[in-house]
Amino acid sequence: MEYVNPEGLRLDGRRPLEMRQLRAEIGVVARADGSAVFEMGNTKVIAAIYGPREVQNKSQQINDQAVVRCEYSMANFSTGDRMRKPKHDRRSTEISLVIRQTMEACILTHLMPRSQIDIFVQVLQADGGTRSACINAATLALADAGIPMRDLVTSCAAGYLNTTPLLDLNYVEDSAGGPDVTVGILPKLDKVTLLQMDAKLPLDTFETVMQLAIEGCKAVANYIREILLENTKQLEFRRGV
Amino acid sequence: MAAASGSDLSSEMEVDAFRRLFPLNFHERHLLKSIRPDGRTLGKARDTIISLGAVTSANGSALTKIGCTTMLAAIKLEVMTPTVESPDDGCIAIDFHMPPICSPIVRPGRPAEAAPVVAKQLSDTILSSGMIDLKELSLVSGKAAWMAYLDIYCLDADGSLFDAALLSAVAAFSHLQIPVVSLNDEGRIVLISEDNGGGKLEKEPVNKEKRKLKLATIPFSLTCILHKNYILADPTAEEESIMETLVTVVLDSSSQLVSLYKPGGPVLAQTSAIQDCVALTRQRLKELQKILNEAISDMEVD
Repeated sequence: MEYVNPEGLRLDGRRPLEMRQLRAEIGVVARADGSAVFEMGNTKVIAAIYGPREVQNKSQQINDQAVVRCEYSMANFSTGDRMRKPKHDRRSTEISLVIRQTMEACILTHLMPRSQIDIFVQVLQADGGTRSACINAATLALADAGIPMRDLVTSCAAGYLNTTPLLDLNYVEDSAGGPDVTVGILPKLDKVTLLQMDAKLPLDTFETVMQLAIEGCKAVANYIREILLENTKQLEFRRGV
Repeated sequence: MAAASGSDLSSEMEVDAFRRLFPLNFHERHLLKSIRPDGRTLGKARDTIISLGAVTSANGSALTKIGCTTMLAAIKLEVMTPTVESPDDGCIAIDFHMPPICSPIVRPGRPAEAAPVVAKQLSDTILSSGMIDLKELSLVSGKAAWMAYLDIYCLDADGSLFDAALLSAVAAFSHLQIPVVSLNDEGRIVLISEDNGGGKLEKEPVNKEKRKLKLATIPFSLTCILHKNYILADPTAEEESIMETLVTVVLDSSSQLVSLYKPGGPVLAQTSAIQDCVALTRQRLKELQKILNEAISDMEVD
């Protein structure tokens, strides 16, 4: 099947190096300490942060840092066919672990000992790149909650189909069987915190695809900074500063 | 006594602290002046918004907000074989989820207490209200019928969960469009996509065009809290946690009583209190009908 047609357009009309449209909003769940909605094309994800608060399970309490918990779940109607078991299947557990470890690396947990930070992510619509959208949404929500972090964490995925590196795969391109490289970076510090790939790829092509994904992450970081700046201006305005 | 100590400290304490330490006292002081902490009068419900078609991949969907309580409902249709006893009936499965994002009390791994209760209430109300005629979901008698899976997700739990969930379910059903299908050679139902609708079809389609369900009477509800001799309509989560006696009244579009639910609680109600709740529900019914009709006509304009 042709994923990039001879004119260089993909199935949804994008160019190979073009990302899907990003849209984000902060403060959507009133009861949460921080929350955000993040959309990458048709993939729509909502993240809510509860914390820092008292550890619910005293046996898990750590005396010199905060415990970070994460749960990833997909809505029944998020995928094409209705899902029977959206939580606690292997994929959801793996992604919960990945998101937790990625965010834990950048939250300054030693500033909040004996407390717990809960990151809950709910996928409302899935069209490829849910892992990346979840990490981006979690970053925004953590910023909304005012939890101290070393840097933003942004994530983006890239692939390689029809001998062309493609940025930000959607579901059809993702299920084509080609390699899928997901990268998560701390943009200011220029460090990679998440790197996952499946399928085979020669090393030099891998370098190109990973660089492409990192460029995508930087673009997401710029967008997130704009959103946070806009949000701060709104807050200033409301406080009458 | 708690009330006395409250009033002694109140002159020295900040409002937020007083609200957290003596919540009942805080609310009762407002009720004495016939007002609630968020500025509403006792019988007034919060601002309600309905947005249809929130989930593009579902056959019908709606996002409703009553104040801060947010519910997202989506309906997916699948083909199934009807039972032998009712070969002309389709089926509806209603599921209500409270994911951990909606409230600080919900713990991952342990479902919220309220979730199965609201799910059962919803299921009973929708199926017994006669809103949907299951025969409309039939495709080929005895061989194929539609199974409608309705999933409602609570995205923010701030009181009156049942009201918001019922409203989103009703809105999703009024947005539902049944896709065009036909019977292929092997006797199985296949979906006809809009792209090849213009070409020649192998067999006659079972239903000619995307159609909407005819909804007979639409149920609307209002939850009220009874406290001493006050009746508070549309409680927030804070009010629900302090004053625990809830009464939910469901009326249909012709103001007939569909369901009445008072699951115990510390306040014992006289029949006059219940009648007042029904009267408040009747007012709310008119508001909700107007909002739903506006949302539907907005969709049709698009």
